[in-house]
Amino acid sequence: MYLLFIFTYLSVLIFLAVVIYKFVKIASSPVHLRWELYPVPHEKGRASYGGSILEEVDWWTKKREKDHLGELKVMVPEILLLKGVWEHNKELWLGSFPFHFALYLFIGNIALLIVGTLFQITGISPFVFGASSNWATFWSIFRIVIDAIIWIASILGILGAIRLLFTRIVNRKLVLYSTASHYFNIILIGTIYLTALLWRIADSGMVTNLMGYYLGLITFSKEIAINLPVQIPKIGYAHVIISLIFIIYLPFTHMTHFFAKYFTYHSVRWEDTPNAPGSKIAERVGEQLNQKVTWAAPHIGADGNRNWIAIASAAPSKEVKK
Amino acid sequence: MKNVKIKDISSPVEQLAEIKLEELYPLPPPYDKLEEQPGFKTLSREIRAKFEASLDGVMAVGLKKPESEEEEKRLIESFISGLNKLFSKENNWAFLQPLTLSMEYCARCQTCSQDCPIFIGSGENEIYRPTYRAEILRKLYFKYVKKGSKLYNTFQNGGIELNWKLIARLFELSYRCTLCRRCAQSCPIGVDNGLITHELRKMFSMEMGLSPKELHEKGTVQQLEVGSSTGMNSLVVKDNIEFIDEDMSERTGIKVETKWDVEGADVLLIHNSGEILSWPENPGAFALILDAAGIKWTMSSDLVGYDGVNYGLFYDDVQLARIAMKHLDIAKKLKVKKIVMGECGHESKAMGVIADRIFAGAVPRETAMTIMNDIVFSGKLKFEPERNWFPVTLHDPCNLARSMGVIEPQRKVLRYLAPKFREMEPHGNRNYCCGGGSGFAVMSRYNFSDWRIQVASRMKFEQVLNAFSDENPGPETPKYVCAPCSNCKGAFRDLFDFYGAKAKSGLYYSGLVELIVNAMVDVKEGFIDFEMM
Repeated sequence: MYLLFIFTYLSVLIFLAVVIYKFVKIASSPVHLRWELYPVPHEKGRASYGGSILEEVDWWTKKREKDHLGELKVMVPEILLLKGVWEHNKELWLGSFPFHFALYLFIGNIALLIVGTLFQITGISPFVFGASSNWATFWSIFRIVIDAIIWIASILGILGAIRLLFTRIVNRKLVLYSTASHYFNIILIGTIYLTALLWRIADSGMVTNLMGYYLGLITFSKEIAINLPVQIPKIGYAHVIISLIFIIYLPFTHMTHFFAKYFTYHSVRWEDTPNAPGSKIAERVGEQLNQKVTWAAPHIGADGNRNWIAIASAAPSKEVKK
Repeated sequence: MKNVKIKDISSPVEQLAEIKLEELYPLPPPYDKLEEQPGFKTLSREIRAKFEASLDGVMAVGLKKPESEEEEKRLIESFISGLNKLFSKENNWAFLQPLTLSMEYCARCQTCSQDCPIFIGSGENEIYRPTYRAEILRKLYFKYVKKGSKLYNTFQNGGIELNWKLIARLFELSYRCTLCRRCAQSCPIGVDNGLITHELRKMFSMEMGLSPKELHEKGTVQQLEVGSSTGMNSLVVKDNIEFIDEDMSERTGIKVETKWDVEGADVLLIHNSGEILSWPENPGAFALILDAAGIKWTMSSDLVGYDGVNYGLFYDDVQLARIAMKHLDIAKKLKVKKIVMGECGHESKAMGVIADRIFAGAVPRETAMTIMNDIVFSGKLKFEPERNWFPVTLHDPCNLARSMGVIEPQRKVLRYLAPKFREMEPHGNRNYCCGGGSGFAVMSRYNFSDWRIQVASRMKFEQVLNAFSDENPGPETPKYVCAPCSNCKGAFRDLFDFYGAKAKSGLYYSGLVELIVNAMVDVKEGFIDFEMM
């Protein structure tokens, strides 16, 4: 158990370190030229038909109002229900939705377990050890909810994984573009769902055991970790270890689209901020225009010393015909 | 080659894919008879011996085959060098973030495929799938730019063999997509295959000096040297406009006189100069409407100032910036209050959105759609909408609709001034490209126009025919496709000519301003004359 805790901390640390590194790297990319794609949902009063403020005569004199609720209205069904896949690729959605939704349910369950454990630690109410109190009924229901989510999520996830794997195997257009990792990823995540279900089937005290595991993790207490009255079956250990391996592996794959999607939408697809004199964007673009160009085609006229401003202000250099 | 796979792009086979007329998306009657369809011209043996045509038997760019192994090796090295520059902050700050995101986060789910009008129009030919070329670049990116463990990289992204065949085919393949970005709209993750194609073209042009002649030598270079991609210098353009003014005055009964180089004007009007040569009634109609609305406007006779075309948008950031800077300098010099971009989608996008961060708010720009909507509903002009008695549908230029969100102004005008206006489906942001996007409208060398018209414009043609399905299908009823974009009009011209659609179905195309002038009470009746179109 003690070693499991160490491995858990290590997994979470690796996950966070790589994700934060990637996040910062993307966020600190140069300001790019505008490349928005309509509809842009924060266009107040226009998003429903895909319009923009550019429809207004003298638009730069008009007050620009952003509808942030409009962005949420798009993002929430997109993330939770995979609306885009539903609309454009129903065959894939049948596997992809349960597969992803199960993951959301598991993440939600982790959040519930952490909240409950924090209540226990702070002494506000007994969660893990369930001593009799006014909270007893509430926590009983809480545990039932966690238990129900385990059942639902693992079954949903298994069905999703089977369906996705099937689609990637039989659908030629997916086969052509799938690499070994695509199959591996589905099998790995599917195994997490499967071991969760098997653990629950084998262990009626799975929720209590999980609560004990989280209490040990959050208190950083060696004593609690050693003395916890948990009896995790072998399949439970397998589930936790496979889940932790997945947590380490995830940041090194394209599956980090779970946060990259924030940038593809907010920094590219919906990024429509006009440049204005003296703005932060103008300042950053100005710096970027000072960078030296090394493109080698003759018409560019780059000599390794000229920057973007010099190159863009010059006529095309005479070329050697190819 | 049947069942083409990604790795086949490097294959030594003579031709990777074949386009067969019978496999293309079926067109509605009377265009459904294969024996009546012109088909694709075959490239001669001499041409194939000299140029690379090993992708699909079609040639858009005419890439010469390397003459020696040394040259081939040098080209491959140049390609790898370009690949690395494409992902460097110094050389590609302009698109680095969106490109890297599109490279690293694709789930290969193919959700985008069914939204590509070229892929669907081709009968789902694998090489035209929006992810096909993107996936090749992705594999090259992970192999030559990201590097890292070979084993892990192959496990995650698969392998690819880089050779000259791959480069030659990928270059051609970057001109089998109109950059319409319809596929990007449907990507749940936000990956943009249109952008990937755009970046590929840039790399070929900016590092290897490879680009279609129509876009580069005859396009941006000619524009920067002579003043216009049409080849018109300022004397010629002034002469042509004078002729247009005279013709308009005669046809409409209203004196039209274009103003040149007026300092401090409210509006600097910049047309796609292709209009001046091919559709002169368009700039004529602009002049008439702006005068009638009492707007103080001008055109510029400075080098590049009378041509809003910016083909750099399609293939080269440096050429894009050079032309955008010229437009900016001219507007500053004339001290105009704003630039109005004529009926041209890519001009509007290039100047209005893409170059926005270069313009830095120095001179505001707006599209012709907004100012025309404003004028029509200002009460300054009197209309008889019944003069536009014929059925009208609207084509949404991708650059205006999908990249700028300019949807309603042109519709408001049409709902008011064209009593028989109807939408085509899908429309607005979800429109299909005309098939002439990204420079295709001006690219016709070798047998490329056969491909462009029969594959790239196919879904648009079906849409147009369906939009008028409630009308008499014959030529007796003229049917007007309002295409407020010069390049789109070029695509419609070639499309309708190719299929004889004017004679068979009475299909005509023109812009928005022509409909406005045609409905003006003060204008002589019959400005739109189908017999002259």
